[in-house]
Amino acid sequence: MPFTADPVLQLPALAGVAIGLGILARGMRGHIVGTRIADTATSTISAIAVGEVRVHGVVEPAELTLTSPLQSAPCVYYRARIRASREGDDTVFQEERSVGFRIRDASGSLRVFPRGAQWDVPDRFSDSSDWPAGLRLRSGPALAPANPSHEELVAQLLTVRPAGGLAGVPGSSGGSAPFAGGLLGASRGPRHYEESRLELGDEVTVLGRVLPFGDLEDPAGADVDEAIGGPLAALADPEIAADIAAARAAGLLEGSAEEAWGNAAIPGFGIGRPTRPPELDRAANPLPIATSDDRARFERTFDMAPGTLVIAASDEVPLIIAAGPPHQVVGRQEDRLVVGLLGALLAIASAVVLAASLSGMIVT
Amino acid sequence: MSPASLAAAFSIGLLLAVVFFFLFTTYNSVVALRLRIDKAWANIEVALQQRHDQLPNLVEAVKDVMTFERDVLERVTQLRAGWSRSQPVPAQAANSAATSAALRELFAVVERYPELRSQDNVLDLQNEIERLEGIIADRRELYNDQVYRHNTRIAQVPAVFLAGPFGWRPREFFDADETADERPDVALPTG
Repeated sequence: MPFTADPVLQLPALAGVAIGLGILARGMRGHIVGTRIADTATSTISAIAVGEVRVHGVVEPAELTLTSPLQSAPCVYYRARIRASREGDDTVFQEERSVGFRIRDASGSLRVFPRGAQWDVPDRFSDSSDWPAGLRLRSGPALAPANPSHEELVAQLLTVRPAGGLAGVPGSSGGSAPFAGGLLGASRGPRHYEESRLELGDEVTVLGRVLPFGDLEDPAGADVDEAIGGPLAALADPEIAADIAAARAAGLLEGSAEEAWGNAAIPGFGIGRPTRPPELDRAANPLPIATSDDRARFERTFDMAPGTLVIAASDEVPLIIAAGPPHQVVGRQEDRLVVGLLGALLAIASAVVLAASLSGMIVT
Repeated sequence: MSPASLAAAFSIGLLLAVVFFFLFTTYNSVVALRLRIDKAWANIEVALQQRHDQLPNLVEAVKDVMTFERDVLERVTQLRAGWSRSQPVPAQAANSAATSAALRELFAVVERYPELRSQDNVLDLQNEIERLEGIIADRRELYNDQVYRHNTRIAQVPAVFLAGPFGWRPREFFDADETADERPDVALPTG
């Protein structure tokens, strides 16, 4: 049977099939996540046991907090995106980062190591205009100590930074932006801003594997996650890693931390208790060497007993961190399933239209 | 094959895929629920065993001073001896509830003995057993919540259609029966 070619109708119909199937797949994934959350009872943190658990509580800071890029809000997770238009996919800036935090319920708190987590956090900020109300671009570093000292707070207060800048955003009119010229300014028209984040004090549901801290393979690595953007995420890019290796081979980059930073690479040097003798001028006062206890403490990175239970991602039990109480999280996932089923209908309808067009029953 | 047949095959295939997806995820979720119940139960047993191991130490620490309170000590000892991990869930639940009640009574009696309250080892044991009692209560709640989710799931569509062929039956709650609150009739040894 000869097929009738009608690209005006057939191409959108094909796209409809593909989009419908994509929406259905997303809905099915949401259903699997929602079922997993709904089928796991909430554990009380004080009575928690090793294995897969669901906990529900509020977010508390651990050692560090993040500052969100678009609204400068202190948080433990953010996903921010700036696009040239609401509908388009022309992304100007995109970043997703998280740091370790604690979740607290009425009975106690539990440390969460978020690396590899699936985040389900709705947008808190979504606006399209030249300079929307509520846009307060981050002007300082993304990471900050959770409990800053008095001196650090005074230094923050006295630091003057150019307004409206966002480190890493091409064209943001900030001091540390690599490209000046005001891409975010009025001269280039409105942009679409989206930011979702998990702030301190927010209600959160966490589903993952509880294990003793001592069993965590890489605590420092598990504590910071830079899915998109940020220096650690860049290192995971094979092209960037190859460039770094080439720069090392060409002698443009030092081969190790010791070569690059000298004494500063010695653990404890910065606080005057180096773990091994530094190379100092003869006239300089020698520094006391850290005791074995201090050394162990510096090397541990986290001041946490090995038997302390923590929650982290594992190969067997993926870590899910979702904003809100469990019933809200399940509701969001079930909404995705309903949309996914509508996607299946879209795919079927598009397939019927495609078939009718191919057989010449519909002609544009 | 004509385009119309292809479209029909695609539509039917997609609908079947969605139906199989629901059956597949339902089967997997019920299996996961049953495993979660087993794990929750194993965690209760760990806590019960820990309390079981601490009870002789407590009785040993207080028995010389509490010469006139032998009935409560005897009850704790008998209940400890009456617990076994091989018992069915309701029997273990009844034993656990009775042990908790007996321990509450024992701690109330200990409060009347200043010489016991001044002993560090008695206080440590009391704190440890009270901690374990809290853990048992929390884990029992978790277990029952998990059983509730399982029993509800297998009674609902679509799992109810799979329950028969796969032999899924409702699980028992960790719930003491009516006799658990009754005071056990313990005969004091004479002499």
